[in-house]
Amino acid sequence: MRGDKQIVVLDPKKYKYNWKVERPERVERSKYFGNLKTVVIDSGICSHCGTCAICPVKGIIVEDKPVDFPNWKRLCIDCGACIRVCPRYTYTPISGIGDYIEVFAGKSKRFVGQDGAMVSEFMASALEMGVIDVALFVSRDDEFRPYVVHVKYKEQLKDTRITGTKYSFAPVMPELYEIARYVDGIGIIGTPCMVSGVRKLQKEIPFYEKIKFTIGLFCTENFYYWQLKEFLAEKGGDLTKATKTDIKKGEFIIDYADGSSFRISVKELEEIVPSGCKVCQDFSAIEADVSIGSVGSKDGFSSVIIRSKIGKEVYDYMNEKGYIETDEVKMSVIQRLCEYKVKIHPYPRY
Amino acid sequence: MAKSVKSPKMNLIRSVFGHLNAIIEVTKEVVMPSTITIHYPRERRKLPDNFRGLILFDKNACINCFRCSHICPANAIQMYIRENKYYPGIDYTKCILCHFCVDSCPTSALKPSKIHDVVFKSLDNMVVKPEDMINEPKVLREDYITVEYDFDEDLIMRRSKVKEKLVVEIDKPVRPDFVAGAANPENCIACRFCVNSCPQNAISFKLEDQQTMVFSIDIDKCTGCLICIRKCPTETLKAFRRDKIELEGNYERR
Ligand SMILES: Cc1cc2nc3c(=O)[nH]c(=O)nc-3n(C[C@H](O)[C@H](O)[C@H](O)COP(=O)(O)OP(=O)(O)OC[C@H]3O[C@@H](n4cnc5c(N)ncnc54)[C@H](O)[C@@H]3O)c2cc1C
Repeated sequence: MRGDKQIVVLDPKKYKYNWKVERPERVERSKYFGNLKTVVIDSGICSHCGTCAICPVKGIIVEDKPVDFPNWKRLCIDCGACIRVCPRYTYTPISGIGDYIEVFAGKSKRFVGQDGAMVSEFMASALEMGVIDVALFVSRDDEFRPYVVHVKYKEQLKDTRITGTKYSFAPVMPELYEIARYVDGIGIIGTPCMVSGVRKLQKEIPFYEKIKFTIGLFCTENFYYWQLKEFLAEKGGDLTKATKTDIKKGEFIIDYADGSSFRISVKELEEIVPSGCKVCQDFSAIEADVSIGSVGSKDGFSSVIIRSKIGKEVYDYMNEKGYIETDEVKMSVIQRLCEYKVKIHPYPRY
Repeated sequence: MAKSVKSPKMNLIRSVFGHLNAIIEVTKEVVMPSTITIHYPRERRKLPDNFRGLILFDKNACINCFRCSHICPANAIQMYIRENKYYPGIDYTKCILCHFCVDSCPTSALKPSKIHDVVFKSLDNMVVKPEDMINEPKVLREDYITVEYDFDEDLIMRRSKVKEKLVVEIDKPVRPDFVAGAANPENCIACRFCVNSCPQNAISFKLEDQQTMVFSIDIDKCTGCLICIRKCPTETLKAFRRDKIELEGNYERR
């Protein structure tokens, strides 16, 4: 390098006294958040995964509305971290089933969840094995609004608010940044876009290798909570009184406490699907350690795709302890949905 | 079961001896009293060197590390800006004289003293600024005797005609000398929190081109306050022992 201070390397593995950071290239002459805004947010391809909440000045707000940084022209410190970790800044969609080690349908004997509660079972086993110290789960409040909880003990997963699917964006990544410095092994559950965010983050900033276990959920689309609530209310459903929500056979179903339920065709929900979801082609969370969803297995079972060594280790542990029941999975159904997602979500759009 | 107690029989010899004994005891107390009272302020008790009294401050030793203000359980320490650096001041309305600050100070910039008899003229005066902690306060002393308690067997008081020093230099505790180094430069997100937080301006950055930022730590300036390490969101920086660095040092000095 140049200048009076050379890049001095004491021990390349341990410490350097000068170090370099490559910030990303700009597409326009504004601060980095301005670039992110132009390329990802304003162009409508933001998946709302929340990875950009890495923002060291905590300016980027990932809440129940499009990602924003109020007053960024003044407050953005121009570090470029948001762009470095954004999985959509340079976006090439991924699709298909992806590589895997093993596929099966499973049902947990210990927990009750959306389908076979395999998500909860995997995380509980990973906690038991000591692979992770804490798992970030998405729970819900009395009005079915999602919020993030830290699960450290498997007993916490007996709470059926923590298990089960919430069809709304949840601020998992912002919470991750809050805790990352204080724990060693973190487990993350998320939609495919969040999994892609985690992988991009880990590639750019190895500190986040702490996220030892990532479960991806099969996903066609997600919603903003307020929008879903208002839309369903218009159609006569009440999300705030729901005890469970589900999408089955093309229908969005709300179960109420009194046993009745409200159904609406998913096609009708089309108009509130966020634009970022409409360019996503990853149905099966290709980059996750383990992908889990409901299609492809019979009622009460979850389809599980194991993709990595760590996923396999946790699976073997569960089998050894006899925590799960397994069944056949229909790969063709998953395959069909993967293809379907590519078809309905073309990218580039025009 | 009740037990009846009889009064002792009057006995002339016994009562004479009893009275004599009492007279001797009283005379003894008059001549050489056995009280353990110290006649403050004419006398002062000898205190240990690290007595937890008024706290004094050495501005030159201070590395602005905030450890004192962080550790203070009473939240009595505020950092004041003086010459672009932060120095501690103690609010004696809150201070509980636990001396955690003194113990936590890595450079012994905060020093204990044996001054415990302090009067503040008003509540406002009790909020002491860093510059007012540097000099030993003037103490009007009327004492000419130092009293030392000896607890070894029965309590003995030793009085000596010396005037005790209230501020004693005590040896600085041996602590490892740390410097900050970039242990994991690949984690750096270019937030510059370390640059902005360094009280010694030991960390700096240059723009090599539009994209590339070069950071450097000047080890000679680094005092080992480690604020940068606390601030770094991605554990890029770590503390190293300065002596270890000299050992492994195949780096060029400026
Ligand atoms: C938005 C969304 C869309 C989905 N779409 C499909 C689909 O089209 N086809 C399909 O087969 N499966 C889909 N799934 C997955 C499916 O609904 C179940 O989550 C999955 O089968 C796991 O069931 P389980 O009983 O094993 O999980 P459980 O043990 O019940 O655990 C599910 C876990 O998912 C987490 N979670 C719930 N909501 C969210 C959220 N919004 N964001 C992040 N994490 C969350 C919670 O932490 C919860 O603990 C979708 C999931 C989501 C969140």
